[in-house]
Amino acid sequence: MPLDTSTYSLALLRLDGRRWNELRNIHAQISTQAAADGSSYLEMGNTKVLCTVTGPAEGRQSGQRGGKDNEAKVEVEIGFAGFSGLERRKRKNDKRTSEMQHTLETAYSSLLLTHLYPHSTITLNIHILSQDGSLLAACINAATLALIDAGIPMTDYLVACTAASSATSAESDNSDPLLDLNNLEEQELSFLTVGTLGRSDRVSVLIMETRVRMERVEGMLAVGIDGCKRMREILDRVVKEYGQRFS
Amino acid sequence: MPQEAQISVNERAFIQDALKEQLRLDGRAFDAFRPLELTFGDEYGVADVQLGKTRVIARISVDVTTPLPERKFDGVFQIITEFSPMASPAFEVGRPTNAEVVLSRILEKAIRRSNALDTESLCIIAGLKCFALRADVHVIDHDGGLIDASCIAVMAALQHFRRPDVLVEGEKATVLSIRERDPIPLSILHQPLCVTFSYFEEGELFLVDSNLAEEQVRDGEVIITMNRHGEVCQIAKYGGAPVEPYALFNLTSLALQKVKEMSKFIQERLDEDAKRRNAGGLLAELSAENDRPFDRPVG
Repeated sequence: MPLDTSTYSLALLRLDGRRWNELRNIHAQISTQAAADGSSYLEMGNTKVLCTVTGPAEGRQSGQRGGKDNEAKVEVEIGFAGFSGLERRKRKNDKRTSEMQHTLETAYSSLLLTHLYPHSTITLNIHILSQDGSLLAACINAATLALIDAGIPMTDYLVACTAASSATSAESDNSDPLLDLNNLEEQELSFLTVGTLGRSDRVSVLIMETRVRMERVEGMLAVGIDGCKRMREILDRVVKEYGQRFS
Repeated sequence: MPQEAQISVNERAFIQDALKEQLRLDGRAFDAFRPLELTFGDEYGVADVQLGKTRVIARISVDVTTPLPERKFDGVFQIITEFSPMASPAFEVGRPTNAEVVLSRILEKAIRRSNALDTESLCIIAGLKCFALRADVHVIDHDGGLIDASCIAVMAALQHFRRPDVLVEGEKATVLSIRERDPIPLSILHQPLCVTFSYFEEGELFLVDSNLAEEQVRDGEVIITMNRHGEVCQIAKYGGAPVEPYALFNLTSLALQKVKEMSKFIQERLDEDAKRRNAGGLLAELSAENDRPFDRPVG
């Protein structure tokens, strides 16, 4: 066990001084790249992500333009900067990246109104500049902002957040769920990433990778959904502030 | 790139309308698996799973290597999935489809990351020698439910597998063949099994173990991996139509029930196989009698 989070139960403060239901500092900007059709930059604590959207445009390969049934196809590319992690190395676990790409592709192809753009491709390019936990959540939030900037119609914001269960021992019942994890917490606790559709509670993305008692899932999910709602307000404020420039 | 044949508009409408009337095309209940069949090969560690028309074979093999420098006390365990073009025209060798990436990631998370196999027990001499265990998953026939079938196949094969015994003298390790010493079963810490739920009607309707046609029509899927002790090892819902959170809690309890049934089934099959291998039991082995014909007169 790399570090000790048992101190949490003493002061109810986490390693970085947050309480259980606090999000990290979030800073977001949209329209950061002039050349792209839509772009955004998002910081969740020390996780920093840059996202650009190209399209709806004709697909790169001439043989397969767009998706099936006269719908636009959503493509996602995730790139890691060499300096993003603690150690500078090539990512060996490439399946993890393709899984993240697959998650974003399926999540957005059902969320975006893709039938408005038949035979076209919407490409999302995500660059990870710095990794400190909640990576998938940051990617989803950045992608939502970039798609809004690109003006691609969607039904609501897709926002994501991570939540964990703080108890390390299986017996103790008085465990607080934690919201928005950083890298150290992610390595030690069992956590899930939940993505909800805007104001509703409806869950669009749910990924949990670590073993946890069945009863804990409910609490983690509830806290995660609550975090998503706050995240939506933050992203909404960013979009509206940007929009005021044009009023 | 070859693709799975698209389901026709009529067929799609037919399946959806039937589901609205609480009917599945093969007449199953919504929470029922297709008939599951599990057979073991003559060798240890070969499991053949048939789930309806879907067929998956898992095979465990073992080798001796040096452990990874950052994990000196652990053996190596990897799961390799292969979609053969025999199973479906959509599969190509050497180019993993999205389905293949998802399958191998889910197996990785469900079995490897949840520590189903105690990799420390595969260590022979710390830092020098360890067993490298390899699980090859071959999809032989594809009619949906690949993840569930593959997970059953790998877990059954792991429980069935016996590794050769080793004799360690100082820095020297000798692997003893099966003839010299009885092989040893692996130490399995828990048995995760996957249950895939497909949902329809904007998340109002859930099906267990959908076949290929239902998979093509569905709005999305939720893959839940649990063990029979009620621990969730992995949940994956990659996008798709959004669902109410309380529906997800119902799914975990339904998954637990299914996982309990399946682990019981696997255990029964393992016991049957053990009985078959050990025909006559200890008495037959210790008996001094030979298979000599007695009725022939001597001389």
